[in-house]
Amino acid sequence: MSFEADEEILQDFLVEAGEILESLSEELVELENDVDNADLLNSIFRGFHTVKGGAGFLSLTELVDVCHGAENIFDLLRNGQRSVTPELMDTILSALDTVNDMFVLVQNREPLVAADADLLAELHRLSTPEGEEEVSAAPVADTPVVSPVSESSGNDSQDSAVDEMSEDEFEKLLDELHGSGSVQAVSSGTSSHTEETSAQVSQDSSSDEITDDEFESLLDELHGQGAFSAESSDSSSSAVASSSDEINDDEFESLLDELHGKGNAPKIVESSKQDVAKVDIPPAVKPAKKPTPKPSPVSSTAPKAAKKPKQESAKKAPQQASSQGETTVRVDTKRLDQIMNMVGELVLVRNRLTSLGLTSDDEDLTKAVSNLDAVTTDLQGAVMQTRMQPIKKVFGRFPRVVRDLARSLKKDIKLVLEGEDTDLDKNLVEALADPLVHLVRNSVDHGVEEPDIRESLGKPREGTVVLSASQEGDHILLTIKDDGAGMNAEKLKEIAIERGVLDHDAAARMSDKEAFSLIFAPGFSTKTEISEVSGRGVGMDVVKTKITQLNGTVNIDSELGVGTVLEIKVPLTLAILPTLMVVVGEQTFALPLAAVNEIFHLDLSNTNSVDGQLTIIVREKAIPLFYLDQWLVRNFVDKSREKGHVVIVQLGNQQVAFVVDRLIGQEEVVIKPLDRLLHGTPGMAGATITSDGGIALILDIPNMLKFYAKKSPVNKKLRS
Amino acid sequence: MKVLVVDDFSTMRRIVKNLLRDLGFTNIQEADDGSTALPMLQGGDFDFVVTDWNMPGMQGIDLLKAIRADASLAHIPVLLITAEAKKEQIVMAAQAGVNGYIVKPFTAATLKTKLDKIFERLG
Repeated sequence: MSFEADEEILQDFLVEAGEILESLSEELVELENDVDNADLLNSIFRGFHTVKGGAGFLSLTELVDVCHGAENIFDLLRNGQRSVTPELMDTILSALDTVNDMFVLVQNREPLVAADADLLAELHRLSTPEGEEEVSAAPVADTPVVSPVSESSGNDSQDSAVDEMSEDEFEKLLDELHGSGSVQAVSSGTSSHTEETSAQVSQDSSSDEITDDEFESLLDELHGQGAFSAESSDSSSSAVASSSDEINDDEFESLLDELHGKGNAPKIVESSKQDVAKVDIPPAVKPAKKPTPKPSPVSSTAPKAAKKPKQESAKKAPQQASSQGETTVRVDTKRLDQIMNMVGELVLVRNRLTSLGLTSDDEDLTKAVSNLDAVTTDLQGAVMQTRMQPIKKVFGRFPRVVRDLARSLKKDIKLVLEGEDTDLDKNLVEALADPLVHLVRNSVDHGVEEPDIRESLGKPREGTVVLSASQEGDHILLTIKDDGAGMNAEKLKEIAIERGVLDHDAAARMSDKEAFSLIFAPGFSTKTEISEVSGRGVGMDVVKTKITQLNGTVNIDSELGVGTVLEIKVPLTLAILPTLMVVVGEQTFALPLAAVNEIFHLDLSNTNSVDGQLTIIVREKAIPLFYLDQWLVRNFVDKSREKGHVVIVQLGNQQVAFVVDRLIGQEEVVIKPLDRLLHGTPGMAGATITSDGGIALILDIPNMLKFYAKKSPVNKKLRS
Repeated sequence: MKVLVVDDFSTMRRIVKNLLRDLGFTNIQEADDGSTALPMLQGGDFDFVVTDWNMPGMQGIDLLKAIRADASLAHIPVLLITAEAKKEQIVMAAQAGVNGYIVKPFTAATLKTKLDKIFERLG
């Protein structure tokens, strides 16, 4: 265990074992629905096994213990000595949770805490074949009496109940299998004998022990009475007396001796040690043939046969070796971020060149610039691709989330995942994880009804939650759909009024769809008592804020008694932002294009004031109107305007109109964070370099409204 | 000496590689299970194989059997990495022609002893 915990290896382990743990959690939930799936059982077994192996090298003993327990249980399961029960699953899942917790500790460089003793005991109890739990592994210490194989073997006999085969035993085993020293002509019957006897060994002795007597008879059978014992009397190797079903080094050595002749490597069974010794070649080329399984090779030709291909392959090797390499490389995401950043810069330069090219008459330049344009777009796409991850990474945790939740709420819920292979930016995948978990929990907790209620409503007892992802142009659409009770718009309004989020007039004017969005209001909870599940922790408003931060939108629709659909739209990437460039006063500003609904030229005299808020009527809908220059221009002086450019943006269900002085057009920009001095300026998301080489501030619309339109009823509505 | 390390867990391959490197083995290649290891062995002049027992696809023991069954590879010594030294398993491996076994986790020193033993036997 004194392996030096190499930092890099530890990192590798965390990444790789982390992946294994993720798929374990998926597989475990899958297993519950498919208890007899042998492949699945094997794969889970191997998962725990592999993590245990790695953890062992890194001296993470606490982790090893838990994995070991789980591994043992799955060993029984896959051998049919146990069956999957919900209780067993609970234990395994809590073991997995413990492992995950330990993982976090390792990641944070904190010392590991040993697993809960109850859990370990339970794991231990379950890792005995079914029906034998009570009879634990007590009778193993069934007095291993040492009776030396030979006169000389008193030296280092193994008389303890060691768990492992000793080196000497192994040596002896090798000798046994291949004929020891002068023992020649191990007949073709050897293998079957050995197998028989070793089978006998495991059957005869109650606890898989191998006793001296048994071992001796094994030797006798292999080499004829006396023949081998004469050999073994020469041997300095110790007697085999280990009493467990595990082998130690000595046992292995003697096994090898037996198999290959004393002190020899596996070789042709018939050829004696002396024969081989004459062939004077380097050790690695020493002719060695398959030993026992099919011991019928022709002794005289075998050494040559073994040697020739060896030489041939030596010649071929150099060319072939080069073609065998790994096809994947692990790259630090920081490096990818860097590349993405540089591509971003390139995009800016491209934008600048394109705009120069437009004003130039030089045809060659125009051509070159449009070429650069195409290449840059491709490069941008390719780099983005490297950062893409399937949404599976997030979806993978949902079967477990839903399973646990449904079990604790005593609901019957089927989770359907669709479009798991949809790719999106790594940062987005991570950022979406929490909001999605919250929304799915919400669907399970508040959406789907209890089985009895469902039945009385004529619905199937089992509720369905569908989680799907798909790419729509430059956006990813995520949908969470349940076939539960749906939401009651009137009830939502009542609660909103009760909580002071909404007044009666506004409520009366509110459409159902707008009312559904009330659940995203801060401090809004449709359940009067806080449920353990989704009534605490992050609220829906946090979910919404988070998604808005990702330049995404949330849309909610519901039908009473039928179910609820939540739609989340997020851009494919966070690094490059399509914007609409506008001029306000003398300055250029960028509005995130995702929010922009429409642009038109408007007669500004045709506005109305409602509730003290300036509004315009667009297609019979009243939309609040704001003059951006009132907010964004220093020393603003009101000027009379008859006509103006109006940009309508969509924020959730709410539309807001902004008057700007001039429209420049659509441009892809790279967001640069604001300097420390400017950091936190309300309504500004960042800055970017425009195609004419200037600087434009990127507007954060919701924040800007929050700050500047404090008194406006719109703001109240938006916050709700 | 050209060594092939076979394990499905890449961290483990790295650990074994590092340990082997500590012992002076520099020409080391990797394979992620028996079925990828075998063509590599057939194609390259490997002198030594270190393989894990438990792998998806082709298990270590099956790889060992395949090596011993192939006349051009049968001479290559094989060290088997196992999680526990179950006698039944080791006997089976020995019969299949394994040269040595080593139990996880192990140190460079243990690995060295195991290797020395194997080469001692090879002469």
